[in-house]
Amino acid sequence: MTDDAKPRLAPGVRLHADGTKLLGPERILELDEIAQAIVREFDGTKRVSEIATSLAKEFNERESIIRADVDALVKDLASKGYLKL
Amino acid sequence: MPSPIGLLAELTHRCPLGCPYCSNPLELVRAGGELDTKTWTRVLQEAADLGVLHVHLSGGEPLVRTDLAEIVNAAHIAGLYTNLITSAVGLTPQRLSELKGAGLDHVQISIQGVEPARADAIAHFKGGMKMKREAARLVVHEGLALTINAVMHRENIADLPQIIDLAQEWGAGRLEVAHVQYHGWALANRASLMPSREDFERAASVVDEAKTRLSGDLVIDHVIPDYYAERPKACMGGWGRQVIVIAPDGRALPCHAAASLPEMIFANVRSRSLSDIWREDDAFAKFRGTEWMPKPCRGCDRAEIDWGGCRCQAFALIGNAAATDPVCTLSPDHAIISAAIAKDEAAPSAPYRFRRIGG
Ligand code: SF4
Repeated sequence: MTDDAKPRLAPGVRLHADGTKLLGPERILELDEIAQAIVREFDGTKRVSEIATSLAKEFNERESIIRADVDALVKDLASKGYLKL
Repeated sequence: MPSPIGLLAELTHRCPLGCPYCSNPLELVRAGGELDTKTWTRVLQEAADLGVLHVHLSGGEPLVRTDLAEIVNAAHIAGLYTNLITSAVGLTPQRLSELKGAGLDHVQISIQGVEPARADAIAHFKGGMKMKREAARLVVHEGLALTINAVMHRENIADLPQIIDLAQEWGAGRLEVAHVQYHGWALANRASLMPSREDFERAASVVDEAKTRLSGDLVIDHVIPDYYAERPKACMGGWGRQVIVIAPDGRALPCHAAASLPEMIFANVRSRSLSDIWREDDAFAKFRGTEWMPKPCRGCDRAEIDWGGCRCQAFALIGNAAATDPVCTLSPDHAIISAAIAKDEAAPSAPYRFRRIGG
């Protein structure tokens, strides 16, 4: 994942009002707490590097660890069609 | 008790097309018997309160309802994911932007083939293919998600590679390759619609190849035909477990073909709340879970996977809704499926009986 990638939800995908799952056409994806926090940042304006920095602060965790979580989630969601880069 | 996750809202049975495999019942509800906007608004809120996440606005052709945008908006306000299932006939730029403004999340357009004249002949509607192409372009242009739904049968199954190309060319994010299932009108036309097993298997490998090749670009969902499967599908995710169907006249059904079951009485959302129906209605309770199951489903290790298959199919083929779905090779009645395949897969194609109101 390059630092500059700005993930956003694919057309037709949105976060349910309760924030715990992604809804898409004929699809429901339950998110764990970490994934929920990351997905909230996927608005197409923030770089993955910025997302990792701000979440690292919020969770008081090493940035490299959060960054690995973000990259893994982006890769997984993009391959399933939930995300556009 | 499980919460339902999907609501299939059949807004109307009216439709300009006449596809011979329509899943609507042979006896269709007329316009005067349809639920009004106010009732739909209430029902959609009740659905969301009950835990429903997706609402599929279907028909018939939902665009024939002039209050469609109001209904979409009611669903959107209730927090539901709104999916419009349409032939695209009538999806003008004005209507699309109205629907988008109302909160529409996703559009599913059905196609009958690739080559316009042949596709239009199957849909029994001239000029339909051209309208679909234009509507698909508008949907993508508006930034809405598009699914192409291609119903496969004997006449178009060899065109599957071109259908996949077309879905990509039209900018769809998802393609549903749905083989005809023989309910309602499709059962009446089975001898003309059923592909050979060989053609079906070729189609299955085309889908597998395309899934790998297009991974990340186009999501492909393959709904395989019951008759060529060894085990049934969990019809509607199991009776009374995941989905509620509301017929145009307001009857709440556990399966869209359930109105064909003669001895059953279905509650109507005009006089009862959705949660009361889901929790208390006898029709929803009747085949829920595994208690009702006869052998060989009773004790089978797939009992809670496929829930014994489709009740309506069991009734349509062997006259008993409480029997194991005969498509299961373990069913004592499975011979009826083998016989139907032997008879119909090579039967000469008769003229279709096109779907229309008034039989
Ligand atoms: S016997 Fe019943 S439960 Fe078992 S696979 Fe067949 S239909 Fe499913």
